[in-house]
Amino acid sequence: MIESKRRRRVIANIATYFVLATLSMFCIGPMIWMFLTSLKYEADIVTQTMQYIPRRVTFDNYVAIWTQSGFPRLIANSLVVTFLTVTICVATGTLAAYAFSRFAFRGRTQLMLGYLVVRMFPAVMMIIPLYVVMRGVGLVDSRFGLALAYTSFLLPLFVWMLKGFFDSAPKELESAARIDGSTRLGAMVRIVMPLARNGLVASSVFIAIAAWNEFLFALMLTTGQGSRTWPVGLQLMVGEFQLPWGVLAAGGILSILPVIVLFAIVQRTMVQGLTAGAIKG
Amino acid sequence: MATLSIKDVRKSYGSVQVLHGVDIELEDGGFLVLLGPSGCGKSTLLNMIAGLDDTSGGDILIGGRSVVDLAPKDRNIAMVFQSYALYPTMSVERNIGFGLEMRGVDADRRKRAVDDAARLLQISHLLDRRPANLSGGQRQRVAMGRAIVRDPELFLFDEPLSNLDAKLRVEMRTEIKRLHERLGTSIVYVTHDQIEAMTLATKVAVMKGGHIQQFADPRTIYERPANVFVASFIGSPAMNFLPGRLVSDANGVRFAASGVSVALQAGKQPVDSERPVILGIRPEELKVAGRDEASVTGVIDVVEPTGPETMVTVQVGDQSIIARLPPRFAGRRNEPISLAVDPASVNLFDPGSEQRIDI
Repeated sequence: MIESKRRRRVIANIATYFVLATLSMFCIGPMIWMFLTSLKYEADIVTQTMQYIPRRVTFDNYVAIWTQSGFPRLIANSLVVTFLTVTICVATGTLAAYAFSRFAFRGRTQLMLGYLVVRMFPAVMMIIPLYVVMRGVGLVDSRFGLALAYTSFLLPLFVWMLKGFFDSAPKELESAARIDGSTRLGAMVRIVMPLARNGLVASSVFIAIAAWNEFLFALMLTTGQGSRTWPVGLQLMVGEFQLPWGVLAAGGILSILPVIVLFAIVQRTMVQGLTAGAIKG
Repeated sequence: MATLSIKDVRKSYGSVQVLHGVDIELEDGGFLVLLGPSGCGKSTLLNMIAGLDDTSGGDILIGGRSVVDLAPKDRNIAMVFQSYALYPTMSVERNIGFGLEMRGVDADRRKRAVDDAARLLQISHLLDRRPANLSGGQRQRVAMGRAIVRDPELFLFDEPLSNLDAKLRVEMRTEIKRLHERLGTSIVYVTHDQIEAMTLATKVAVMKGGHIQQFADPRTIYERPANVFVASFIGSPAMNFLPGRLVSDANGVRFAASGVSVALQAGKQPVDSERPVILGIRPEELKVAGRDEASVTGVIDVVEPTGPETMVTVQVGDQSIIARLPPRFAGRRNEPISLAVDPASVNLFDPGSEQRIDI
């Protein structure tokens, strides 16, 4: 009886690990494959027999993409657009989330719901009207315009996330601060923001990654080198008659580097932020 | 130090009125306790004094100055919250000094003030810690330190002891009383604990359903409650209520019910004989009767010795009453018992309005 119980548990464990390992391979596999490809010579990439581990290692692909294409420019544009998006979201979203969290005003629920509804429609639906609007105000093919477009669908997400973090900060703390001599805004900045810091970091990283990787809006709203971001630039390198696999892979690796670095730095804070309230602190 | 005047203060949320014209006057250096069950509006009233909630009508004056249009920070008050509301990201020292910091007091004076307050509350050794590393009692002391360091005109306490265990609660109650006597600052204190109200207050406002039921000193509230609600809310075990009627004859006025006959001290005005009334007797006013002085006769139902006294539940007619008798009470279940009561200590209430009747 006990024996069979233990056996069942072992089998269950093996099954669990099998599923987890399969899923992990599915997620990480392409990235490993991309990294290996980026280190291969062009001749070793398209071969009769599959070469899993490169026999010869080269960094030519990295040199090529950095020097022979506009890649540094693409990365710089992406950085600027991401930075602008995060700045706009943090500046306006924090105040909005605080207001939603603390004040009871007419139309509050409807507004919150509206924010959610915006997220329900596919981005494709928004692109055409957004393009028309952007053209009208002369923001097509500008990095600021692209950041605004990103804000349009990332801000609701940011506000919803941050509102949750603000909700979990006790209201009495602000009451205490207001009696102690703070204004409402002062109490928010001095007392609530430090408490919601992890949440703020988590939400900001979330939208930063979303803005960094965005493709569809960038494709529609940018036309020239001046404002094009890396996902679009990389896609445009795929020619009709040639596919520079090695260079593309190197570009891919270079473009996920900032995300990995960012995540490594804020990982602890972000995980704390995302799991906040899950268990009693 | 300052007086506090609350004049016809009302509060409504939409169409729901939670406070109906509250009037309170607190003398300089007084200790006002707002007492009542949950949802009676006591915390709302406190929040309005603090400025955290807007009033819907009426006026609040602190030290003769109307404060209803002032922000909380401009009212010169300090508040201790039920959850203590210590700033979790700051050290104890900064927590206590935060109010001074906000008011632009320079670091040296701030340090001295914080040290003084910490010494007074015996938390000097905790100044470097974070609130998360403090026990409940220590947090309570820090919260009080934060209030007293600013030397405000008025202290507000919102159920400050309800998160502490029973022993600590008694200790901190004494501490608050000592602090009040030492600082002499006026205090408004919200609680649903009648012992806190009785021990601390110079004035008690008993509230229910957004109305003040009685506003008086604790002794009056206890001995001469204004209505059945106040009488039953204050005191543990609660006051005994016996329905019956007044009888007026040659021997004077007495209260009569099945198994009960209590002579009453009547005033000058004529008494409406046969008038139905409710008699209220505190459990400690009942004594085992000697010969010829029995007022209440019944049968012992339950005997509960608690150590310093014995609680005896007695079945009188179809009513059940509790008497607080001496520790060595020897009676047993189902034995008959006669109890005597001091006529001066009983209260009469009207059965319809439940208001106090004085005869």
